[in-house]
Amino acid sequence: MTSRIPGADEFTSRPLPREELLRQISPTLPLHRIDDERADQVDALTYEVVRHRLWAITQEMGETLRRMSGSHVVTESNDFNFSICDELGEQVQVGAYNIGLIGSMDLAIVWTLRNRSDNPGIAEGDMFLCNDPWIGGGLHQNDAAVLAPIFHDGKLFGWTTAIAHQVDLGGPRPGSFSPSAQDVFGEAVPTPPLKVVRDGVLQRDVADAWVRRSRLPHLVGLDLRAKIAANKNAIEQILRLITKYGADTVKGVMRRMMDDAERRLRAKLETLPDGTWTAVGYQEQSQTGDRGLHAIKVAMTKEADRLVFDFRGTAEQTGIINCPYPGLRAGIVFTMLPLLAGDIPWAAGGLMRCFEIVTDEDTITNASFPAAVGKGPFGPAWGAGNLVAEVLAKMLDAEPAHRSDVQSICNGTTDLCVVSGVDVRGGGSKRFVSPVFDVMAGGYGAQVHHDGVDTGGRLIIPSARAPDVEMTEYLYPLVALWRREQTDSGGPGRQRGGMSGSVCYVQHPDQTGTMSLVVSGTGKVANQNVGLAGGYPGNSQLDLVVRGIDVPQLARAAAIPTDLGELGGEVEVLPCEGESDLGPGDALYLHWQAGGGYGDPLLRAAESVRDDVLQVRVSADAARDVYGVVLREDGAVDATATEEFREQLRHRRASGAGLSDTALAPIGTPDPSGARRLDDNLAVRESPDGGTVVCVHCGTEIGPLAGSAFVAALARRDSAPTEAGPHIWHDPLVYVDAEVVFRQLFCPGCLTAVNSRVVPVDHPLPADHYRGWA
Amino acid sequence: MSYALGIDVGGTFTDAVASDGAGRIVSAKTPTTPPHREVGVMRAIEDIAGELGIGVAELLTQTDYIAHGTTASINALVQGHVADVGLIATKGHRDAIYIMNAEGRTLGRSAHEVQDTLRQRKPAPLIPKYRALEVTERIDHSGKVLVPLDEDEVRHVARSLVDQGVEAIAVCLLWSFKNGAHEQRVRELIHEIAPDMYVTLSCEVSPRIREFARTSTTIMNAQVGPRLRTYLLPLQKHLEEGGLKGPLLVMQSEGGTITADRAPEHAITTVGSVLSGGVIGGMRLAEQLGHRNVITTDVGGTTFLAGLIVDGEPVMAPGSIVNQFPINAATIRVHTIGSGGGALASVDAGGNLRLGPQSAEAVPGPACYGNGGTRPTNTDANLVLGILSPHGLLGGRKPLRMDLARQAIREHVAEPLGLSVEEAAIAIHEVQNAQAGDLLRRAVVQAGYDPRDFVAYAFGGAGPAHCAGYCQDLGVSEVVVPLGPVASAFSAYGLAASDIVMSAELSDPSSFPVDHTVLESHYARLEADLQRALDRQKVKFHDVTVQREIDLRYSMQVTELATAVPDTEFTERTGDEILERFEEQYERINGSGAGYREAGVQAITYRVRAKAGLGFPIRLPAVPEADGPDPAEALLAERDVCLDSQIGFVPTPVYDYARLRAGHELVGPAIVDVPTTVVVVPAGVTGRVDHLGNLVLRYQ
Repeated sequence: MTSRIPGADEFTSRPLPREELLRQISPTLPLHRIDDERADQVDALTYEVVRHRLWAITQEMGETLRRMSGSHVVTESNDFNFSICDELGEQVQVGAYNIGLIGSMDLAIVWTLRNRSDNPGIAEGDMFLCNDPWIGGGLHQNDAAVLAPIFHDGKLFGWTTAIAHQVDLGGPRPGSFSPSAQDVFGEAVPTPPLKVVRDGVLQRDVADAWVRRSRLPHLVGLDLRAKIAANKNAIEQILRLITKYGADTVKGVMRRMMDDAERRLRAKLETLPDGTWTAVGYQEQSQTGDRGLHAIKVAMTKEADRLVFDFRGTAEQTGIINCPYPGLRAGIVFTMLPLLAGDIPWAAGGLMRCFEIVTDEDTITNASFPAAVGKGPFGPAWGAGNLVAEVLAKMLDAEPAHRSDVQSICNGTTDLCVVSGVDVRGGGSKRFVSPVFDVMAGGYGAQVHHDGVDTGGRLIIPSARAPDVEMTEYLYPLVALWRREQTDSGGPGRQRGGMSGSVCYVQHPDQTGTMSLVVSGTGKVANQNVGLAGGYPGNSQLDLVVRGIDVPQLARAAAIPTDLGELGGEVEVLPCEGESDLGPGDALYLHWQAGGGYGDPLLRAAESVRDDVLQVRVSADAARDVYGVVLREDGAVDATATEEFREQLRHRRASGAGLSDTALAPIGTPDPSGARRLDDNLAVRESPDGGTVVCVHCGTEIGPLAGSAFVAALARRDSAPTEAGPHIWHDPLVYVDAEVVFRQLFCPGCLTAVNSRVVPVDHPLPADHYRGWA
Repeated sequence: MSYALGIDVGGTFTDAVASDGAGRIVSAKTPTTPPHREVGVMRAIEDIAGELGIGVAELLTQTDYIAHGTTASINALVQGHVADVGLIATKGHRDAIYIMNAEGRTLGRSAHEVQDTLRQRKPAPLIPKYRALEVTERIDHSGKVLVPLDEDEVRHVARSLVDQGVEAIAVCLLWSFKNGAHEQRVRELIHEIAPDMYVTLSCEVSPRIREFARTSTTIMNAQVGPRLRTYLLPLQKHLEEGGLKGPLLVMQSEGGTITADRAPEHAITTVGSVLSGGVIGGMRLAEQLGHRNVITTDVGGTTFLAGLIVDGEPVMAPGSIVNQFPINAATIRVHTIGSGGGALASVDAGGNLRLGPQSAEAVPGPACYGNGGTRPTNTDANLVLGILSPHGLLGGRKPLRMDLARQAIREHVAEPLGLSVEEAAIAIHEVQNAQAGDLLRRAVVQAGYDPRDFVAYAFGGAGPAHCAGYCQDLGVSEVVVPLGPVASAFSAYGLAASDIVMSAELSDPSSFPVDHTVLESHYARLEADLQRALDRQKVKFHDVTVQREIDLRYSMQVTELATAVPDTEFTERTGDEILERFEEQYERINGSGAGYREAGVQAITYRVRAKAGLGFPIRLPAVPEADGPDPAEALLAERDVCLDSQIGFVPTPVYDYARLRAGHELVGPAIVDVPTTVVVVPAGVTGRVDHLGNLVLRYQ
C-alpha cells in the first residue's frame, strides 16, 4: 500500500478486525448481527440440518454457473468459484473450484462495505460487479465477481458471491494478457465494485459498459447473467431457510461452522511439530525480453496452533509477474486448503483465522498500483502456493500420523498459450480467441505411499477439467496431431510424480492466414514441480512452434507425425513470456508440467519401474539411467544387473560429490529405535546437542539437527540439468542468463539422495528448524 | 389365459411378478444365486407358477413375454469382473481414455470427496496401455477424411490384440459419429482375422461428440457384452426349452426393453436396468391413481434412489457415471440420495453427527443383525425407537439384537455427543430424514421443478419407515406407500409393466436454427433407424409413439438442454418454434431473464425416441372395501415407539398390512407391519388405505 500514484491506495483491501470494519460501515446500513453466545445455542440437530442445506445451496451455485456460462474457462476447465458469507464477508461455505479465489472474495466484500454502504448504498436486490485485483473478488482483471447482499427484514444478513474467469475483458492483447505490458495501463482495466443489479433489475448501462470492453461481448454478457442467476437462486434458498428456522438460528449455524473449521484446523496444527521451514522458488523472465530469475521466498513458522507465512526477501515488483495482496493470500489458500484442510469442511472464514502473513511492500507477491498484474494468479500467486505446499509437506512429513498427507509439488503453473485469429472454415469468417485448455491436465505430485496422479488436473482447482479434442476442433480451426500423456514426464522418485501431457496442433486444411499466439509460463528452466525427500522434479515446461513441417495442415498426408522427430521443419523455442504466430505450414507444440517425485528413484521397487515401462509411463532408457533398473529383453526385471547398476550409480554420485571412492554403506533397515523421522530418508536420534540426524537406510550419523548443521555434512553434487533425466530441458541459456544446475544432496554413507532439484547455482541450501526436538 | 412376467435379479434377492391380464397379480421372492443367476431366475418362475397354482410348463407356454432386469452388468463393472478388452484408437489419441479430460479424479464424486484432494485418484484404467493401440487415419469435424485408413496397420494391430488374448475389441476413432466408414472398415478387418470376435464400434453404441465419454462407453460395452451373452443365451435356451411362448426381454436404463439376443450387442444400455424398474413401476401406478407428477423413492439397505415422473413420463438423463468413467447411454435419471437403511452414523472430529455416506453394506449389515457389525446404522436406531418390532423382521423369522443396537449407538454416537441412547437414536432418525429430504428436494429443484407440484411414492425395504419424515419438508401433497400384492417386489412389477422404449440419435454441432430441410433429413434418417430397430423386437406392439428431441445450448455453453421438437411437418417456422421452446425451458430452470439469445444458439445432438406398448394391461387389482374408517380389525398390538424428539416414546398401535381394507384410516402415531418393511405414520400425519390397498399419507 505504497503506490506512487496518489489516491491509488484507496483501492486496496486488507483483512480488518471486525470492530474496525464495523466502524467504517455507514450507520445507514442496518446489519443483522448475533451475539457470540447465540452460535452455541443452536441444537445439534438444527445445526446439522441447516449446515447441510447451506452446503447444498453452494453446490447448486456451482452447477448453475457451469450450466449457464458460455465461457470455456468456466465450462471446460472449472476456473471459477462462489461463496456464502456472513454480513461482514467472512466465508461460511465455498466451492471446490478455483481455490485461490477464496483468498480474495472476503476482501472484496470488506471493501464494498467500507466504500459503498453510504453511496450508492447497499440495498435489497442489489448486486455489485468487480474485477479489481487490488480490491479482491478475483486475482487478476480477468476474474470478474458478482457480489450479492442478502437482506432479511431490512437488515444485511450476509452475502453470496460468484466469480469466473472471463476469456477477454479488453486490453491490448487478445485474452487480456499482455507479456510486454509496462504497467496495469497496458492491461485490461480494473473496475472497482459497480452496482450492476439494482432492486433486482440488471442495469443495462452498467452491463453495456462492461461488455463493451471485450473482444467477446456475448460471452461476457452470458457469464454476467450466469453469475447473477447463481446468486439469485442462492439468496432465494437462504431466505427460505431463514423463514423456516429464523435468521438468528441460521446466522448461529454460519458462525459455528466457521468456528468449528477454525477449531479443527487449530487442533490439527497442535499435533504437528513446531518449527520454521523455508522454501525459495523462481519466476523466470519478468516480461518479454527479460532474462532474469526472480525469487519468491517463504519462511513458515508453526507454533502451537498458528502459522505465520513470512515472505520477506521476495523480489521487488517488476515487469508483469506481480500480484497484489489478495493474490498473496490466494497463494497460501491455493495449497493450504487442499493439503492441510482437505478433511475439514471449507468454512473458509474460520480457516483464514489460523494464519498470518508477513510481507514487504512493493514486491512481486505484494505489488502496488500501477504494476502489471494480469499474470498474478498463475505467476507469483501460484508460485507462492508451490512454496507453501513445500513447507507444509516438510512439516507434515516430520509427524508420522500425517505422512499420508505429504505430497510433492504438482504442476507448478499453467502453460498459457492464447490462440486467436479468424475461423474461415466452411466459408465463414468468425473471430476467435481462446487459451489452449489441454494444459489443464497437469500431473500431481507423488505422495509417501502413492505415485502422483497422471494428468490429474490441478491442485489449486480440485475439479479442473480439460476439453475433449473434438470439442476444441469443433470450436476452433485446429487439428490435433496428438494429445497424449508424456512418457518420462513424471518426476522420478521412490514414488513417481504424475505425468503431464503434450499436445500438437496444426491449422485445419480449410484454414488460411496466420494465427497469433501469446505465451506465458514459467518452470521452463528452474523447475517449479519440485520433488521432496530426494525425489526429482517433474518435466520442464516446453512450448515450441515448428516452422515448415513435412505435412502442412495434413494436406495429402498418408501418415500422421506422432512426435517432434517426425514433424520435420525448424524448431522455434517459445520464451517464458512472449508472442509468436502459427502459420499454415507450422505446428504448435505445448508440453505442460508434471508432478514432482517423492524419495530417491534408486529406492523405487524394480517391479514398479517395470510396470511403468510396460504402461509407457517410463521409457526403458530412463528406467535404467534414472531408476537404475535393468530390464531383460522379455521385459522382466534383471535383478542382479539392477542391483549392480544401482550400486554403480551410487558410486557415480559419490565421485561427483568429491568423495573418495571408499565403500558405500550397505542399504538396509537399521534399528530406528529412539530415532524420530524427519522424512523418507532422515531421522533424528537424541543427543546432548539437540539431536543428531541419521540416515534411515544405512544408519550413518550425518550431523547435528540444530541450526540445520547436518546439511553441511551431506554429500553434494552439482551437475548438468539433464542428469536429472530426459524430461529436463538441456539448455537454460535459451531462457535466462543464470547458471542452472541439477543439485543433489546425499547421505554421505549410502549416497541416497535426500534433496534433488534443478536450481540456479546460487540457490540457498535447505535451512529448516525443528523446535523442541531435543 | 396369458401372462406377462417381470423378473428383477438383485444383489440379494430375485423378485418376480406375474400378471394374467385379467386382474390377477402375484409375486415371489427367492435368493439370488451368483454366479449362476439363471438358477435363481428359474426358481422364481417355479414359485410364481406355484402361486398361480399351475405348473412351470403351463406358465411358460402361456407367457407373452418376460421382462428381465439384472444387476449383473452393473455389478460386473463396479467390481471389475469384466472381459479383457482391446482398444483401437486414432493415431495420436490413444490417451483420451487415460487423460480422462483431467477430470478422472473427481467424476461422480461428492463435493466432500473432491475437497479431500489428497485422497482422490483416478480409477484403475479400463484397459492397460499395451492393449490400447493406434491406427493411422483422420477424419475432421465435418466428417471429411483428412488421412485415409491404413488397412495394413489395422490388420497388424488387430493381430496383436488377438495374440494378446482379448475377448472383445472396442473401436473408437475421432469424429466417427460424423463419418463411421473407418470404424466399420476396422471391424471388417478384425473379423477377417477373428470372425467371432466381439467388436463394439463407437459410432454405433454412442454416436455423440466428445471422444472421452464415447471411448469410455464403447470400452465398457465391450467389457460387459461377452459376459451378458454367456448369461442370457443359456437362460433364453432354458426358457425356450421350457416352452416360453413370447420373447425374453431385457430392461434398459432408459426404461424400455430389448430382446435378449440383441441385448449383449448393446450391453451398456442395460446397466441401469433394475434401477429403472422402480421408476417404471411408479409410472404405472401413477397412471392408475391419476398422478401426473411423482417423486419415486426406493430405499434399500445400501442405497436411496430417487426418480422423477413429470407429466406421466420419467425424467431422463443422457448419461451416467460408473467407477468414475462416463457412460453415454440414455437413462431414466435415477438420483442416488446418499445411503439407505444401512447408512452408518458417526460423530466426526468436530463433534458433528454424520450419517453415511459409508454403509454397513449387506455384510456385516446393521449391528442388530448380529453378523459382526459394531457401528450403528439407521436400522439400529429404528429398532431402539420401537419402529422395528423387537421380535425382528419377517414376522420374527429374522430376529434382531436390541442389545447390539444399543451398544453400537452408545459407543459411537450417544457418548461422544453426551446424549442418552434413545436421544441419540432419534437424532440419527431425524438427521437421516432431514439429510435425505434436503438432497431429494435439491434433485427435484435442480431438474427445474417445484416439489409442491408432486406426490411422493415410497418403496424398498427402508422407504416406508422414513418417507413421512423425508418428504415432510419437500412440500409434496401426499406420500403413497404401495402395499397390495406387489409391496415387496415393486421393481419387478415395473419390469413386467414396461413398454419398449428405443432411441436413435446423431450429433451434428452447428449454429441454430438450421434450415428446416436439415431438420427434415436428420429426423427422417433417425425415424427410419428406429423403425428398423423396432422391427427386430419380435413382439406385437399395441401402439407406437415417436418423440423428437434436440439438444440445444447458447453458443459455447458446455451443457445442452434437451428440447422437444414438434411432431408436425417441418416448415420454415419450425426452427424458431423450437428456439422459443428452448428459451422458455431455459428460463424455467435458470430463472427469468437468464436467457440471452444475442449470444447465439447451437444445436449439438438430434434424437428420436420411440415408445411401443406391449398391449398387456398390468393394472393393480382393487382390494376389498372396509366397513368404515376404523382400522381396529387390523390391529396387531401396541408398543412404545418414539417418532419425534419433541414427543418421545408413546404407546403406538401396530397394524397388519394384510388385514387393512380400502377406506381404513390410520391416525398417527401408528405403525404398519409388512413382512419386508414397516410403514411409519408419525403424529400429525394420517394414512388412508386407497382402493388398491396403498397407504396414502397426508400431513395435517
